[in-house]
Parts: sequence; structure tokens; C-alpha cells
Amino acid sequence: MRVELRGITKRFGSLTANDQISLTVEPGQIHCLLGENGAGKSTLMNVLFGLLHPDEGEILIDGLPVSFANSGDAVRQGIGMVHQHFMLVPVFTVAENVVLGFEPTKSFDRLDRKKADEDIREASRRFGLQVDPDAVVEDLPVGIQQRVEILKALNHDAQLLILDEPTAVLTPQEIDSLIEIMRSLKAAGKSILFISHKLREVRDVSDVITVIRQGRVVGTAQPSDSEAELASLMVGRDVMLTVEKQESAAGPARLEIRDLVVRDDRGVPVVDGVTLDVRAGEILALAGVQGNGQTELVEALAGVRPVESGSITLDGQDITNASPRRVLDAGLGHVPEDRHRDGLVLSMSVADNLVLNTPRHVPFAYHGTRRRAEIRRNAVERIRDFDIRTESPEAAVSSLSGGNQQKVILARELSRPIKVLVAAQPTRGLDVGSIEYVHRQIVKQRHDGQGVLIVSSELDEVLALGDRIAVMHHGKITGVVPPTTSREVIGLLMTGVSIEEATNA
Amino acid sequence: MPSVPRWLRRVISSPILLTFLAITLGLVVGSFVIILTTAPVLDAWRSLFHSWGGPGHAIKTTFDYVGAAYRDMFTGAVIDPNSLWHSITTGQSWTSTLTPLSETLTYATPLTIASIGVGITFQTGLFNIGANGQAIIGGIAGVAVGSSLHLPTIILLPITLLAGVLGGVLTGALPGLLKSFTGAHEVIVTLMFNYVANLILLFTLLSTPLQQPGQGNDISRNLLPGALLSPLFGTASGLRVNWGVFIAAGVVVVAWWFLERSSLGFEFRVSGANPHAARVSGINPRKITILAFLISGGLAGLAGITEVAGTTHFIDGGFLVGSAGIGFTAITVSLLGRNRPVGIMWGALLFAALGVGGRSMQASTGIPLDLATVIQYSIVLFIATPVMVQEIFRIRSRATSGLQLASQGWNT
Amino acid sequence: MTTIVSSTTGALRPRLRLSRDQVIGTLAILLGLFTMWAFALGSSSRSNSQLTFDPVNTSGTLPWHVGNLTLATRLTCLVAALAIIAIGAEILIRRPKRAVMVRFGAAAALFFVAILLWAARTHGPSQVDFVNLTSVLVGGIAPAVVLTYGSLSGILCERSGVVNIAIEGQFLGGAFLGSLIDSVTHNFFLATLGGVVIGGLLGLVLAFFALRYQSDQIIVGVVLASLVISLGSYLNLQILTPYPQYNAGSPAPNLTIPLLAKIPVLGPVLFNENGYFYLVIALVLFISFGLFRTRWGLRVRAVGEHPRAAASVGINVIRTRYFNVILGGMVAGVGGVALFAWQGQFQPGITSGYGYIALAGLIFGRWRPSGVVVASLLFGMSVYLANNLQTYQVPVSTSILLMFPYVVTIVVVSGLIGRVRAPAADGLPYKRD
Repeated sequence: MRVELRGITKRFGSLTANDQISLTVEPGQIHCLLGENGAGKSTLMNVLFGLLHPDEGEILIDGLPVSFANSGDAVRQGIGMVHQHFMLVPVFTVAENVVLGFEPTKSFDRLDRKKADEDIREASRRFGLQVDPDAVVEDLPVGIQQRVEILKALNHDAQLLILDEPTAVLTPQEIDSLIEIMRSLKAAGKSILFISHKLREVRDVSDVITVIRQGRVVGTAQPSDSEAELASLMVGRDVMLTVEKQESAAGPARLEIRDLVVRDDRGVPVVDGVTLDVRAGEILALAGVQGNGQTELVEALAGVRPVESGSITLDGQDITNASPRRVLDAGLGHVPEDRHRDGLVLSMSVADNLVLNTPRHVPFAYHGTRRRAEIRRNAVERIRDFDIRTESPEAAVSSLSGGNQQKVILARELSRPIKVLVAAQPTRGLDVGSIEYVHRQIVKQRHDGQGVLIVSSELDEVLALGDRIAVMHHGKITGVVPPTTSREVIGLLMTGVSIEEATNA
Repeated sequence: MPSVPRWLRRVISSPILLTFLAITLGLVVGSFVIILTTAPVLDAWRSLFHSWGGPGHAIKTTFDYVGAAYRDMFTGAVIDPNSLWHSITTGQSWTSTLTPLSETLTYATPLTIASIGVGITFQTGLFNIGANGQAIIGGIAGVAVGSSLHLPTIILLPITLLAGVLGGVLTGALPGLLKSFTGAHEVIVTLMFNYVANLILLFTLLSTPLQQPGQGNDISRNLLPGALLSPLFGTASGLRVNWGVFIAAGVVVVAWWFLERSSLGFEFRVSGANPHAARVSGINPRKITILAFLISGGLAGLAGITEVAGTTHFIDGGFLVGSAGIGFTAITVSLLGRNRPVGIMWGALLFAALGVGGRSMQASTGIPLDLATVIQYSIVLFIATPVMVQEIFRIRSRATSGLQLASQGWNT
Repeated sequence: MTTIVSSTTGALRPRLRLSRDQVIGTLAILLGLFTMWAFALGSSSRSNSQLTFDPVNTSGTLPWHVGNLTLATRLTCLVAALAIIAIGAEILIRRPKRAVMVRFGAAAALFFVAILLWAARTHGPSQVDFVNLTSVLVGGIAPAVVLTYGSLSGILCERSGVVNIAIEGQFLGGAFLGSLIDSVTHNFFLATLGGVVIGGLLGLVLAFFALRYQSDQIIVGVVLASLVISLGSYLNLQILTPYPQYNAGSPAPNLTIPLLAKIPVLGPVLFNENGYFYLVIALVLFISFGLFRTRWGLRVRAVGEHPRAAASVGINVIRTRYFNVILGGMVAGVGGVALFAWQGQFQPGITSGYGYIALAGLIFGRWRPSGVVVASLLFGMSVYLANNLQTYQVPVSTSILLMFPYVVTIVVVSGLIGRVRAPAADGLPYKRD
């Protein structure tokens, strides 16, 4: 099936997310759509999948124009999508999720579970996607959940599979296995449209690469092009792929985590005896695919999640199970993973968000009364120092771009007297310019003698920033290695292989 | 929009206009109810096709009745222009001229206080549906103190009011503590406690020393003269508006300062806007939940005792009963005022006017008071959906913020 | 961005480390201790209580006659108390995965029996010294039926993701219209239809505001319920008072199933009830089957758990929710008629918060019809006891007694919410991009 997008344009108010985009996916082709965060890839895919209607342009399947009223139409035309944020119902089984919307039924509308199971086992076999139809999805590891998503799309007889940033949540080994799956799907005649901003994978698996930037197609590339060429097409200028960093001059440990055990909401110990040190003047990067306990570890550090056993010490002060207030006052800076949910109050002003965790502190308050002049002055200064692009200090922080929102959070944390900065996924969803800025700020903290713990599932970022890299898998630290370690070894550590085996592999 | 001048565009998209439009729609709904339930009007519409003058007659009858009803409402709640003119020209019967306004203010007084309490919890992201029960307990506590301690006014009145506050505080503590320690959803706890409070009222009025001596009915003792909020213009003037208005005004000012200018108020607002970020930023959700309910309960209790001390001077089994009870009206007023103290004040005045006007309308046209409540709730329903009002009137608005409380279900 | 695996509620979960089982187990133990103190030790060793079983309202004679049972009050209550404590202990120790509710239901049943035995004891203040168990069961089932309608309505709405606080209003609407229709036509079938219509209409209004305009569902529900209740008051004064012929209904007649009704004790309870009882049982079975075994049910649940996922496979989230909320409204409307059918006459306060209690039952029953039935029985029995313990001259004021169901609800809700999982998208507005 040949799918062509011609002149697709989509606007949201004054923002043009897609501007006359045209591309063609030939049958049996793996076509990559490359672009940085914010370039318009998701919008385009939502148009192709029928979730959005284009303002201009058309979609042609095998030469005939089609239009989709909703994603059901797209599915019926043979387009399947594996979303970046899985569209799986956590409490349903694999089978229920796969057949949802296209359920086999018996009399009286009863679900034919047996047939569903059979169909799934059949598809598993055909495409090499092993899953247990009766497993409950929320109990499954992320890599398997992704397979369920793919099975779902195939169950709908998809001829074109759209994969939206599929590798964001996978270990390097799982990425390899996904690439294998993509190749076998291609061999079975399916086309794949694969969206990413990760240059390495794109070059590994694509037949053709379309690069989009700021809503427009800026060029078509070949996998044989170099990473630097692709990167500069993607961003529009020469991109420094490395971070400037002086030699590490690490001092004594400022944050000491000892044998930490933390349970998740269901009582499972997701942090299972973690011991780590973050030293003054160093960046400790915690690598690992999401879902291995990193989130809960950061929550425990921030005082938001209770610690079952073990200890956390900041410059000698015990902050195990301290309240978030005490943790913050003790000098821990926290850039949360989910900036909209945990880091900002979107409806409030930039000025208010800048003092969100110090509302009672002098000079912002005096005996319980807020001093608005001081708050405003602080806001003006921070906006200037951190180059935050906003209409005014009183503007609602929801009006800022993702990058600027992250700057607000950074500005807030970095202008408090902190001893250690904990930054979880600090550059997620940001454009390259903002990513560079965040990296610079983090390095500056290190330069000033603070300790930095950054948690990231982006291996490139971890390798670029970390003075030491700790790898986390299933709640345990599988190894702490220098940044010169190879990606393969780190990848193995991410899958739980012990450090001896990994280095000998 | 074609060349609409900028200032006009701003007016059109302002939340205040939306409020006015919602009020209008509410009155329209009220008109429908009047039409459908007033016999002469129904008859007129039934004979719509019986003659050529049918439609005209029907419309005229409708306008007559609805117009009379609303006119009675207005003159009963605000002022009767004829009466005003008469008083100005002859210098007499000021009492009857000013009575409507006085009544409205009298009713608005406890309503404002309770509504601000409810509004504070709304701004904190919590639902205090139990203000009615809290007001009842506050009333009981206040009457218990104010009818038994023989002390000079200067001590007795504050103590009585304080007792009312404390009654409300204790009652508010229940949902606050339960929510923060067990996660119990405050909607059900407060709703249930309303019924419990009603029963406590009956109990105290029938089985405890609080009962009026020599009475078998559910009536309490009277407040001692020292515990009363006396009328502003003296009892002789016949105007019931009492010193409570200053209390209400004071509450409005303090609440405004609290929410907008104090650090604790800031923490309340942050918790309401984004409880997750509040927690991560060091705000203690338990403390905030408990404090918000204590404050809200206390204000509801104050409203209860203010009502008693200012108007009835005793409580009976019908105190704050039913859906027209202060606690429920307070919810609607708070929504109308977008949970902000100043808006709440205006909302309380409006709804008090509706209530007082409704009473007057009942007296002259026989339409029961509950119609006023129906109108109030309709207004609020429209307020809760600014998008809908806009659609009906085809306006685009600026941020329709303020009403989208942290929408959540049972999951905490 | 979150994949399914990451934690989200850790930030706000109350920090008490007790799980649902522990709370229920502890509650049971406390209940048992109270029973022991108040009822076992609270009755003298000379007291007896008599249980009778003759049904009060059947026509014809019974082939079987169950004789009266006289029990030593203190001993029986002690045994009951110990049994309750044992149940609590078992829950705490063995932490069973399923059927915890049923165990608690058993403990509650024992508690209720103990109360009755204690209240009706000889040598006590009561003039009446027997307890007609059959009447008690029949009496407890009546409010339970109404509550079940309400909770079923809640299940239909919330399983698709919409919170329906307006059940109280739908009850009232159904009761009012049902009473009106019955007074005029003396036909309960038509009255039920009226309930369906008004309940569905109110459901439509709720759905309209919640779905089209994305108002906060709790606020809309409270306002809608209060609006209907005020309207009911208004109409009561405008129409029913001046024209009492519109409020001349009577309780619904019982439909007796011939042979089965003669089974001792259970016969009159289960097979001699009015139509609403049989209907609600049918509904429980129907809805259970529908939600968990059919394609429709799978889609509804998907919409309630993860509406985006449902939308991405072509399910129309909004239409599903509209359908379910209207259906739920209809069920609640019928529940309102059932309420009238039980009471026999409409009055403004007829709903007495039952709609809200039904919500608590929904949560207690974990959004499943089977669980909701147990919860309704529990609350229904407490309503019955509250209304009827006065006949035994219990040394507690009537007003306090009447608080019982509300207090029970508060206790239930405090012990259990936060530890059960509502449908994940419950109450959250669904925004299409």
C-alpha cells in the first residue's frame, strides 16, 4: 500500500504546526520522519491517523484521495499507529486490549475470548511478537507492552504502521529486538513510518529519511548520510553534539544514598537496595530505561515517597523520609520529571512559579504576608539572568514554551542556595536550543562545586554529561562506570547483566 | 469579528458579562417554570388556537404574570420606586420604603459569611458541601452559650459568636481530618453529616436543656438580650438589618487579604490549582486540608450564629432546613462569585435579593418561594458552564479560568 | 509523559500504611468488641429474646410453620460478638484476596442480629419481646432495593467515566413523577415508565453539562440534585398540596411467586416482594453480564479507564458516555419510583440522602454489581434499624437512632476510599484534541 501526504497544512491559532508537508511511503519501505521536539512530527502523524483534520492538503492511498473523520476510518483504511504514550488500558488483559474495537463476538454480543486468544497467538507467531494473551497489561514490562501495541495495530490489518518515537522507553537490547521486528514486518510486506529524533537508530534501520523542521520538510536524506549532516538538517545550523566540560575535580560526597529500599503504590520494592554517592563538583548520571525505579528513587529523595529502609544524607544531614519542605530547605534542588504536574502551576504567573517552593522565605514574605514587590523584582531578575522568553512576569506560565517552562524551574532551583541538584529527565520534550541551555546550566552547577544527579533515559545525554554513570535495572544499580564505557556495555548493564559479564562480553 | 472597537471586545469577553448573561438565562428558566405552573397562564396557552386573539392573549398573559412576578421580586428585594418617591416627597414611611433593602442585607449577611467559607475550600481544591450542617451546629453552639450565660453584652456577644465559630470548626474538622488521614472523599462525608446535623438539631431541641422551657415543640431557648446583634437603626425603625453586616464585610476583607496577600493563602491556592506541584514544592497537603476545613467550618458556624443572633433569636426544627438552607445556597453563591471574596459578596447580595424577593412574590402572587431557589440553581448551572453561555450568546471569551476546579473523581 | 508503568499517585496518597483488608478487619474487631460490651454484657443474664418467623403479610396459610426460637440474650450476643471478632481476625491474618466484602457483610449481619436480640430482650425496657426475623429481612430489603438502583446507576455512569452525584435528584424526580402517575392511573407500570423518562432526562442534562461543556462533574451533580429537590418542594406546594388527588398513591402490591413463597423464612422475603425487587435483581444480573462479558461492556470499561485508548480504536467516547449516563439516569429514576412504591406517598424529604448513600455503596462495592448488592443490604439494614428500633424502647433518642445509616456511611467511606481503584478516568473531563 502506497501512502502519500500532499501539501498537508495544519494550524492551531497563529501557530502553523505543519506547513505544506509532502512525503510518500512506498510499500514495504521503512520511512523515517526525523525532526527535533516541537518540529511538528506528532501533529503530522495525528493527521495521518485521523485524529486531526488538515486545514489544507490531502492524503492519498494507492493514488486515491481519502479523508478520515476519525481514527476508526484510518484504521479501516489500513493505517495502524503505535503511539509514543501507549494506548493500552492498564487493567485489561493483552487480549482485551488487542481486540478492543474489533472484538470477535458470539450471540448476545458476548465476547468470544477463545477466538481472540487464538488470533493473537497466530499473529504472535507470524510476526515474531511473543506475548501471553491473558496477562494483565499493567503487570508487563514496557518492551512487552509495546509489542502489544504493535499486535493491536496488526490485528486491524494495518498495512502501514506508524511508530511514534518507539525507542524512547527501550533498552539498547530491546531497541535491537524492535529493529528486528521492523525488518520482519517489512519482509511481510508492511510499510513503516518511523518517527524519531534519535540519529543513530534512524540511520540503522531506515530506507529513506524525511527531515522536518519547524513544520516544514527541509530535505530528504539517506541513511548513509553522517550524523552531523542529519543533525544540522534537523536543527538548521551546525550542532555541537558534545557538551563542553572541563575535567572533573570531584570532592567529597555531598549526597549519600545507602541501601535505599522504596516501594511503589502496589507494595513492590521498585528501589531495591540502592547505594550511590553524588560528590561535590561532579555530575552523576543515572542511566536506565524508564520504569526501573528511577522515578521512585527521585521521589524518595524529594521526600514525596516514603522510604522503607536505608538512608539519605545531604552534607551530613539525614533527610531520609523527611517532608518535601525539609528536603528543600536542607538544600536539595529538584527539577521534576513531569514538569507540568509536579514542577509548575500552569495557571499561575511566572513570578509566582519562581517562588513556588519558597513562599514564606524572606524576602518574599514577612510574617506570613507576601511581599509582592520583592516577588516581582525576583522575577524580573531571573527572567533576565536565565533568558526566559515571556510577555511579562505576570504572564501565566502556561503561555510559555516547553523550553522556557523548564528554564523557570531551573531558575527557581538554581537561585536558591542548594547543595545538590537532582534533575529528572531534564531535557525531555525540549528543542535542541533548550537542551543545550539546560546542559550548560547543569555543567555550571558542577563547576561551582555543587553535586548534580541527573536521571535520564537518553543515553547520549548520559554519556555527554556524566562524570560517572550509574546504571539502574529493576531497582538495583548494576554498575557505576566512567563515560568512556562503550554503549554496548552500558546497554547490557541496563538489561540487568552484571558488570563483570558485561565488560567481558 | 468585524471592526468591533477594542474596548467593546474586552467588555464582551469579560467574565463579568458572562455572569450577567448567566443570570439572565436563569431568570428565563424561572419564567418558564412560572408559565408552566401558574394556572391562568397555562389556560391562556391552552386556548392558544381557540381564537385569533389566542396567541396575543397567551403572550400578554405570560408577560403579565411573569412581569408581575419579577416586579414583585424586585420591589420586594430592593426598592419600590413609587414608595421611594413618596418617602422623599413626604419624608414619611421611610421604614416601608427601605425595608426591602434592609431585608436583603439581612439575608445577605450570614449568606456572605458562609459562602466565603465555601469559596475558600473551593479555591483549595476541596468541596465543602457540608456548610449547612456546620452552620446548624454553629447555631446550636451559639445558642447554648448565648442563652445561658448572664454576662454583659460586651462579653456575651463575642463569646456567643465565638461559640458559633467553634461549633462550625469542630464540625468542619471531621471531613478535614478524615480526608487528610484516610483519604475519605469529603463530598460524601460532608453530605452525610448534613443529615446528621439535622438530627442533632432535633435531638438538642427536644431532649436537652436547650429546649424552650415549657414547650413541647422543637424550639430552643431564646438568646439573652446581651447576645443579640441588634438592628443598625434601632428596633424602633423596624428595619432588621443588624450589626452583622459589619461582621460580614469584615469577613470579606479578611478573606480577600488572606487569599491574595498571605503566604498561607498562597499555599491554599497552589494546592487548589495543582495539588501535585504543591506537594513537591513543600506544601503539606494534610495541613492545608485540615486548615481549609477548619476555616470553612468556622465561617459556616459563624454564619449560623449570626443568623440567629441577628434575626430570629432562637432556633427551631426548621433552622436552615432543606436545599434552601444556607449551606447549599452558599455553594451556589460561591460558584457565582467565582470563588473570590469580592465576587462572592456580590453573589450573596444577588441571591439574598432573590430569596427576599421570592418571599415577597409569594405573598402577592402565591408563587412559592422555592421558585427563587430554582432560579438560583439555574443561574449557577449556567455559571458552571461559561462555554455554554458563550455559545448561546456567541461570544469568545478570554481565559475561562476560575471555575474549573481541579476536576477529579474519587481517586486521590 | 508517562508510560503505564510510572507511579502517579504516590505524591498524594495519605500516609497511613493500612490496606483495605487491614481496615476492614480492624473495623470488624472493633464492632465485635462493641457488640460484646453493649449487647452481651449490656443484657442481664436472665434475659431471653424470642425470634419469630411468621410472615406478616401473606395471603393463605403456610404448609410449613416454623416455631418461635427463644435464645438466651447474653449468651447469644456473646457468641455473635466472638464470631464477629473471629471474622475480623481472619481477615487480618489471612488477608484473603476475594470475598472480603462478603465476610464483612457476615459480620455486619451478626451485628444487626445482636442489636435486635438485645433490643427485644425480656427484662429490658421494651414492651415488645420478640423479633420477627422475617419482617426484619423484608423491612431491610426494601431500602436496600432502592439503594441498589442508585448504586447500579452509579456503576453505569462511573464505569464509563462520569461521576453521577445527581442520583439523589433522579430519585426525587422518579418518586415525584411515579407518585403522580400512580395517583392518577393506579398503574405502576406507567409509573415506572415515568421514572424512566424523568431519570433519563436528568441523566441527559448531567451528561450534557459534563460532556459537552466539561464542567466539573461533582459540582454539576450537586447543583442538579439540589435544583431538582427545590423543584420538587416547589411543585409539592404548587400542585400536590392544593390538589391532593395527585398524591393519592399507595405502596406497590407484592407479586407472590406461588410455590416458592411458602418456603419458611426466605420464601416471604425473596418471593413475595413487589415488582421493583424482582426488577432490580434482573438488572443486577443484566448489568453484571453486560459489563463483563459483552463487547459493549468491554468498550464501556475501556472508555472509563483510558478514553484516549478507546478513541484511538474508533470508539466514540462521548457517545458511549452519553448513552451510559442516560441509562444510569433511567435506572435511578426507576429507583425513585421504587422508593415511592415502598413508602406509598410522596413527600418532599422522601429521598433523605439515599442517593448519596448509594454512592458510598458504589465505592464500597468496588464498582461491581455483586459488591454493590452487599453494600446496599448493609446500608438498607441500617436504615431499617434506624427507623424501627424505637418500637423496642431502646434507651437512645429517636434522632440519634436515625443518624445510624449516615454514620455508617461515613465510617464505610473513611475506611475504604483511597484503597480501592475507581475506573481510572472517572470524573476527568475528556478533551478531544
